[in-house]
Amino acid sequence: MTISLSAHNVVKRYGGVVALSDASLEVHSGEVLALIGANGSGKSTLSKVINGVVAFDGGQLLLDDQPAHFPSPQAAKRRGISTVFQELSLVPQMTVAENIWLTREPRRQGGFLDHRREYEETERLLAMFEGTVKSKLTPDMPVTALSPDEKQIIEILKAISSDPRLLILDEATASLDSRQVQRLFELVTAWKQSGKAIVFVSHRMEEIFQVADRYSVLRNGKTVGEGLIKDATTKSLVDLMVQEAAVQNVVQRVRPSAAVLQERKVTLEVKDLRAAALHGVSFQLHEGELLGLGGLKGQGQYPLLHALFGDMAYSGTVLVNDAPARFNHPRGAMRRGLALVPGERAREGLLLIRSILENFQIPSWKEYGFPLRMGKARKEASDMANVLTLKMPGIDAPVSSLSGGNAQKVVIGKWLLRNPHLLMLDDPTKGIDVSAKADFYKLLAQLCDEGKSVLLYSSDDEELIGLCDRILVMHDGRIKSELSGASLTRANLIAASLGASQETAT
Amino acid sequence: MSLRRLDLFRRPFFFSLLLLLLTILVNFILQPDLLTPSTLSGNMRVFLPLILVAVGQSVVILGGGIDISVGAIVSIVNALLATQIGLQGDPGKATLLIIASMFVGMAAGAVNGFFVAILRLQPIITTYATSFLFAGLALFILPTPGGGVPSGFTAFYRDAALLGLPIAFYIIGLILLGWYGLRQRRYGRYLYAVGGKASAAYETGVPVSAVQFSTYVISGFMAALGGVAITFLTGSGNAQVGDSLTLPAITAVVIGGTALSGGTGGIGGAIIGALIIGLLRNIISFAHIDTWWQTFVNAAIIVLALAIPGILSLIRRSRELRETHRGRV
Amino acid sequence: MRRISISPPLAAVSLAVILFLLSGLLPNGYGSNLDVAMAQATNILRLAVFLGVIAAGQTLVIASGGEGIDLSAGAVVTLTAIVAYTIVNGQNENVPLALLAVVVVGALVGLANGIGIMFLRISPLVMTLGMAGVVTGLILVLTHGSVTGAIAPIMTQLIARPVFLGIPGAIIIWVIFGALMWLLLQRTTFGKNLFAIGTNRVTARLSGVNVTGMVLGTYALAGLLAGLGGFLVVGNTGVVHIRIGDPFLFPSIAAVAVGGTLLSGGKGSYFGTMAGALVLTLITSLLTTMQMPESIREMVLGATLLIMISIYGRERGFRQ
Repeated sequence: MTISLSAHNVVKRYGGVVALSDASLEVHSGEVLALIGANGSGKSTLSKVINGVVAFDGGQLLLDDQPAHFPSPQAAKRRGISTVFQELSLVPQMTVAENIWLTREPRRQGGFLDHRREYEETERLLAMFEGTVKSKLTPDMPVTALSPDEKQIIEILKAISSDPRLLILDEATASLDSRQVQRLFELVTAWKQSGKAIVFVSHRMEEIFQVADRYSVLRNGKTVGEGLIKDATTKSLVDLMVQEAAVQNVVQRVRPSAAVLQERKVTLEVKDLRAAALHGVSFQLHEGELLGLGGLKGQGQYPLLHALFGDMAYSGTVLVNDAPARFNHPRGAMRRGLALVPGERAREGLLLIRSILENFQIPSWKEYGFPLRMGKARKEASDMANVLTLKMPGIDAPVSSLSGGNAQKVVIGKWLLRNPHLLMLDDPTKGIDVSAKADFYKLLAQLCDEGKSVLLYSSDDEELIGLCDRILVMHDGRIKSELSGASLTRANLIAASLGASQETAT
Repeated sequence: MSLRRLDLFRRPFFFSLLLLLLTILVNFILQPDLLTPSTLSGNMRVFLPLILVAVGQSVVILGGGIDISVGAIVSIVNALLATQIGLQGDPGKATLLIIASMFVGMAAGAVNGFFVAILRLQPIITTYATSFLFAGLALFILPTPGGGVPSGFTAFYRDAALLGLPIAFYIIGLILLGWYGLRQRRYGRYLYAVGGKASAAYETGVPVSAVQFSTYVISGFMAALGGVAITFLTGSGNAQVGDSLTLPAITAVVIGGTALSGGTGGIGGAIIGALIIGLLRNIISFAHIDTWWQTFVNAAIIVLALAIPGILSLIRRSRELRETHRGRV
Repeated sequence: MRRISISPPLAAVSLAVILFLLSGLLPNGYGSNLDVAMAQATNILRLAVFLGVIAAGQTLVIASGGEGIDLSAGAVVTLTAIVAYTIVNGQNENVPLALLAVVVVGALVGLANGIGIMFLRISPLVMTLGMAGVVTGLILVLTHGSVTGAIAPIMTQLIARPVFLGIPGAIIIWVIFGALMWLLLQRTTFGKNLFAIGTNRVTARLSGVNVTGMVLGTYALAGLLAGLGGFLVVGNTGVVHIRIGDPFLFPSIAAVAVGGTLLSGGKGSYFGTMAGALVLTLITSLLTTMQMPESIREMVLGATLLIMISIYGRERGFRQ
């Protein structure tokens, strides 16, 4: 069951946005290829080209040295290519066994489902991860009832259950704990030895060095380097992934010392905030402070930001400028000068089919009277677009015509038009290009200099280290540690993210 | 099992079962001979068309769609049989026509399936449009009420029984058997997967469009069956006879515990839902409500029934909100 | 596939013009007689007003997204036509009260729709279809099948007769109404928020839009406009029957679709709907002129909507 698959010069565009401009990759039986790159570099898109989910616009795919074309994921699967999806491909209402065997259900004569065999085969698969999950998984549990790590494991078992020749693991370790990751790597090693090829998509360096044989680096949709892992170092790979030298150099900002901050006014005080997946969070945010939220994805950052913005039910005390606040709708938070740049631009931040003008002005129409003074609204939006150096076809063009970075500028601009004193951001630079990022960092620094408070969550550790005055590291719905001054280092941030307890020097 | 697990607000299916028992009880009090063979047969005969149409609707809804055109398909079949068999028709020709009308129903379903599953148009508005197409066709076949089927047919539908049970029970039994056959095959899994999360089903390799298409064909088939039943029930033709079935069929599915979002539930719930609606109508008629009020009361009951899942989830959500505010999540 | 560059409202207007020219070619059409053609055009325009006003509410609920639709509009038209007929009872001085009554009744029915949709999570189609039944039931309860009353002379004067340069009052009312609708949709916070919730309710909420209030308000307003439509309809016909609103329901939805308002919400214009109302009125009157039976008319209407959604309403495929 040997396999060799290669992709050459693949191009993929989504509307006006180029996701892949020149991506290549090659993988053979008995090896693990690490496909790496920063967020938004096109890793996921490239893996979706290989497994037939995405139709590409240019380039070539060779399977066993023959040109191959996968019009659908099924077509790829028939040729032995199976994928563990990042956004899970599980049907929540169905059981573990039903999900794992979907489209390959064991059958008896007459086409009837063979429930017993399905149950046994599922148990056999579940045994692979036995001992690494909290509760005992059984084949007849509905998937909705499972925790995120358990769902991820089911997704992995689903992919491997078809005994593929090539297995693509797309960020498959993101929601697994260290024990589960170790078990997965043991399994990957065994699969490799049995002649399978594995493409491992990740941005966790330590994992790549542990499990991969070769690497392929993507940057802005282009393959910029390939080689053997044993010849690579973390630094050499990071240099390939990041175009600019180091992020810190982009931002020129005098960071206020802890002592200075202590003397400043507290603009936001949170005491024992609790909500779904948030188990008691307390902190203070000062005037002109850029406070970071760190930690792995999904450790309570989302509910924290959304609860503070009045988008989620919560308990606990919130003081805005020393006055108690209880928001049950974002409007209330807006009136008190809060703003939230949500994490999923397309789903939470933009009105895709509406114009750039309207996207800028959604929170502010009330300020323009009746009938709306459109001239004024248009001028103020255009001015904001200039301030943000927005590259656009025109203020009346739909916002969907903008690239990711420019669209994100619109999301931020709509709040800046309201001149908030507390800006909260949920991973705002995810999937945007380097130059837009640089604009962005400057903007945040400038806002802080003007005395505004910023609460920033980012999945990019470099960004947090490079920008923030202080970082609260979250783990499992709580603040695990607080980094500032000398303790504000990448090593500390990573250690705290992974949940390692440590004394914090404040 | 903890008390919480048995919580009715979390288990819509148990709730509908409870509602069914309640309506049977009330009906029984008002009409003590409810369970005698003749009353039972009389009731089932009246309930059957709605049950059949609701079963078809539930399959579409399970697959993540909706079919507003079922009533119009019922009308087509009724118009077809009433004009083609006629009051003096012979049984041989009638059998052929009944089989033909099944195919007409499936063809109408295929039209829906083509637009919804292949062209990927929104199911609600598409089947609303086709409902006009089909209603027009029914009216074309039978411009004014009239025609019908021989009285022998209605007598057969009224009186036919086996081992003391009216024929409706056997039809329902056959449908449940057919459903079991589908559920126990891959098709059943595909149906739930497509209705549950179509994108995940697609990525896994489920032929999503084909499954969606098939649900509309099944719905068309069941609507045609409902059309045959209603023709045998009334014995006459009326090109608007199906109009009054569309909303009750959707309501039956909803009170049967199948979410309109798809992926959960089953045809059993739809049958229970249709029975509840039928029994409620019985109760209303026993309550001797003024004739002028009947349309209103009927409609109000339908709307209230539609509101049940919403009310249950409102209760559940406000309870969860209280728990959050108590601070121990 | 190349995108059609012509805007939907413009396409609808062109379609209306073409249909009108075609109607002249019919054996019993206006032929080459310009005066008859003008008279016929005026008449079509006048007839389109009623559908146009009823379809205004439909435009709002469809633009509000969330599978928004109002199938109770026909029943509300009937109810309010009856209410107006009964209250006015032939007296000019009762007209203001009747206007207030139809507007309140329509808005209340619409509000009930909104409550069912927002709080009880009933899908708009099912909720408004159910409401249509309730309203029809209510009509039977109130009227027992027969209505007594009359419209006032001033209504006939303003709605059905020419008031200015030979232009019927209804058309003038429609022009003013259209301007107000444009103002509402394009120059008020309500209009901007309406398109925002129609496009993406999560984004709208996170931008401070009160989505619940907007949806309730939209359905109430749609009911109100249907009520206004009922008033105009009865003012035109002068008589009322308990199915008077039904023929307007399906065309009101089709008119919105023809006018290019996205059936999934978030995009659309009342100008488009006005053009759509013209197209549908023309189609209906063409079919009537050609002496087509009811059945053919229904099929043509169904096919029209089906064609429009095939052009504008495609959903995205799974494959990217």
